[in-house]
Amino acid sequence: MNFVLTEVTDKMKKAQVKVINENGIHLRLAGELVKNSNKFKSDILIEKNSEQINGKSILSVASLGAEYGSELTIIANGQDESKALDSLVKLFESGFSEGEK
Amino acid sequence: MFSARNTEKEMIFNGIPVSPGIAIGEVFVANLDELSLSDSKIDRGEVEEEIRKFKRALKQTEAELKKIKAKLAADIGEDHAGIMDTHLMILDDSTMIKETEDYIRTELGNAAYALDIVLNKTLESFASMDDQYLSERAEDIHDVKRRIIRNLLGQAQEGLKDLRRKAVVVAKNLTPSDTVGFDRKYVQAFVSDRGGSTSHAAIIARSHGIPAVVGLEDFTHKVRPYDNIIVDGITGQVILRPDESTVKLYKDARRRFAEMEKELLTLKDYPAVTLDGREFELSGNVEAIDELKDVSSHGGKGVGLFRTEYFFITRSSLPSEEIQYKYYKDAVKQMAPECVIFRTLDIGGDKIADWITNFDEANPFMGWRGIRFTLSRKDIFRSQLRAIYRASVHGKLKIMFPMISVVEEVRAAKQICDEVKEDLLKQRYKINEDVEIGVMIETPSAVALASHIAREVDFFSIGSNDLVQYSLAVDRGNSRISYLYDPLHPVIIQFIRDTVKAAREEGIKVGLCGEMAVSEGVLGVLPLIGMGLDEISAPSYLIPEIKKIIRSVTYDETRSLVKKILKLSTPHEVRELLSKFIKEKRSELTEFIPKVALDK
Repeated sequence: MNFVLTEVTDKMKKAQVKVINENGIHLRLAGELVKNSNKFKSDILIEKNSEQINGKSILSVASLGAEYGSELTIIANGQDESKALDSLVKLFESGFSEGEK
Repeated sequence: MFSARNTEKEMIFNGIPVSPGIAIGEVFVANLDELSLSDSKIDRGEVEEEIRKFKRALKQTEAELKKIKAKLAADIGEDHAGIMDTHLMILDDSTMIKETEDYIRTELGNAAYALDIVLNKTLESFASMDDQYLSERAEDIHDVKRRIIRNLLGQAQEGLKDLRRKAVVVAKNLTPSDTVGFDRKYVQAFVSDRGGSTSHAAIIARSHGIPAVVGLEDFTHKVRPYDNIIVDGITGQVILRPDESTVKLYKDARRRFAEMEKELLTLKDYPAVTLDGREFELSGNVEAIDELKDVSSHGGKGVGLFRTEYFFITRSSLPSEEIQYKYYKDAVKQMAPECVIFRTLDIGGDKIADWITNFDEANPFMGWRGIRFTLSRKDIFRSQLRAIYRASVHGKLKIMFPMISVVEEVRAAKQICDEVKEDLLKQRYKINEDVEIGVMIETPSAVALASHIAREVDFFSIGSNDLVQYSLAVDRGNSRISYLYDPLHPVIIQFIRDTVKAAREEGIKVGLCGEMAVSEGVLGVLPLIGMGLDEISAPSYLIPEIKKIIRSVTYDETRSLVKKILKLSTPHEVRELLSKFIKEKRSELTEFIPKVALDK
C-alpha cells in the first residue's frame, strides 16, 4: 500500500533518520510511530529508497520493511509540521524507547 | 465413543508436548483459517451501501476486539493484552480503509473481496521480508482480516466459545482471539500444527491444566471432525483413529496419570530419600512465575532451573532492569524459604526474541547463544545481573550461566558479577554479596574441563538435553537422525559420572536439570540416583514420579547398576540391564517404564 497523498516539493519539511532498533520497524513499533504521527494535523510521509508511504498508516509503515540501519526520510506537511518532525525524529533517535516500556 | 466407524489404520504423530496429561476423545476442528470468498461484483448503484456495510463490519470488529482485550487483560495480564492494541490500530488504518473503499468504487468488488485484495497486497510485502519475526506478525494481520470478513459475511464466529461438546480441539494455530471465551469443561486437549512451548496455546493450556501438543506440522490436513483421537501431552504423541488395543493402553495410562496426580498428594510432604537413607534435593524447572505454584504443589523443594529467557522472549521489547527486578523479587519471595536458581539469559539456538534479530546463523546451536550471547551483549547481561542481585535480599537465590564451553567464559561472567555487585553497593542498594554462582555443564568440553571449572564456581548443574545433543552430535529436531538422540547412551552416563566426580573432588554441589527423566521414566532416574547427584530438577509434574522412584530403591543397588552401565557399549544394552533389574528386583516400578522405551 503506497499511494502518495501529496506531491512532495522542496519547500516541505524533511529530516533523515536511521533505524537503530535491532529488529527494525516491526508491527508494534509501526503502531508507536503512527500513534505519534496522529498527534499532529500535518500529513506525514515516510520515504525509503524513494518509496513513499503514509506515516499515519500502521500497515504501510510496517510493510516498508525498515530493518536495522536503514535510512528513512520523514516528510511533514501542514500547520504543525515542525513540531511533528521534531517529535518523530526524537522517536527514532530514542530507538522508540525500547526496553523502557 | 469408539464405534465401528474407526476402521482405518491408526496414525501416530509426534509433536512438542507443552502441557501434560492424556486425553482420549473426538476431534473438533477449529476452522479458523478458512473463509470462502465470492468474487461476485456489485451494481454501481450498490456502491455506497457496500461501503456502509464495510464500515459497520469495522465497528462490529472493533467492539469484539475491545472485548477480547479486556478479557485477555483479566485472564493472563495486561502484558499479553497489548497485542490487541496493534489489532485495533490495523482495524483503524486509514490507508487500508481508503484502498478498500476505492476498490469497491472503481472495481465494483464486494466489500469482503475488496478487503481481501487490499490486505493480501500488504501481506505479500511482509512475505518478501526475510525475517521470521515479521512473518509471525503477518499472523496478526490475518487474524484481523478474518475477523472483519466474518463480520461482513455474517458468519457466526467459529471460535472455541461455540464448542458445546467435549472434544479435542485441533487447529492450525491458536491465537488469543481464538481461545477467548472457551469453556474449560468442553476442551479435553489442544492440538495444533504450529507453535512451541511459549506459544499462546501452550500458555493457556498449562494455566488451565489441559493436555496439549503443538508443532504437528500439517496435522490439520489429516484429521476430520469427529475422528477419534488420543493426545499424550507427556510424550508429545498424538494418535489419530487409534486401534481398540491402543485405546485400552491409553485408558490405562490416563488412569495411571490420574492416580499419580492423587498419589502425589500423599507423597508431597515426604523427603526424596532412598531406602538406605540417601537424600536428594528434588526441585522444579520453570519458565515463568505462574508455574512456581506447581513446583510446591507437586512436592518440589525450590527451583533448580528458572529459565529466564521466556520472560524476554514473550515480550516485544527488552525488559528493563526495574521490570526484571520486580519479576525476580516476586519469584524469590514466593518460593522462600526454598531457593530459586536463576539461569541467566539462554537465548539463541531455537530461542529467539523479537527485540533482537541478527540471529541469522547457519548453525545456531553451535553459534551465538547462552553465555556467548550475554558476554557480547554486556548491557543486557549487566541489567539482568543487577536485577537478580537486587532481588537477592528478598529470599534465597543462586545464579547459573548456560552454555559454558571454556573456562574463560566462567571467569569473564564472574568478573561481571563482581563489577555489578560493586556498582550496586556504591549506589547503596542492599544485596546479598554471597550469592552462589554455578554453571550448566552441557557441552562435552565443559565435561572435560569440569575439574578446572569446578575451582571457579559454587555448583554445577548438568543440562542433559543439550549435553546429549552436543555429545552425540545430533540435532533432535531433525527427524532423519533423531533416533541417535538418546539420554541413556552409555557415553552420557559416563559424562555425568565424570562431572559428578570432578565436583566431588573440588567439594562443590552437583545437580541435573535437564529433562532426562521425561522421556525415560524410571530408566533415566535410576542411573541419576546411582551417580549420587545432590539435586535433581525436573518439570513439576514429574517430581512425584521421581520421588516415588527414589523412595523405592537403595543408593547401593543403583550405584552398582551405574558401574555395570559404564561397561556397556549401546543404549539398547543399558535399557535391557535396567528393565531386567526392575522386573526382577523392583517390580512395583514396572509401570514407570515408558512404553516406547523397549522398542528402541
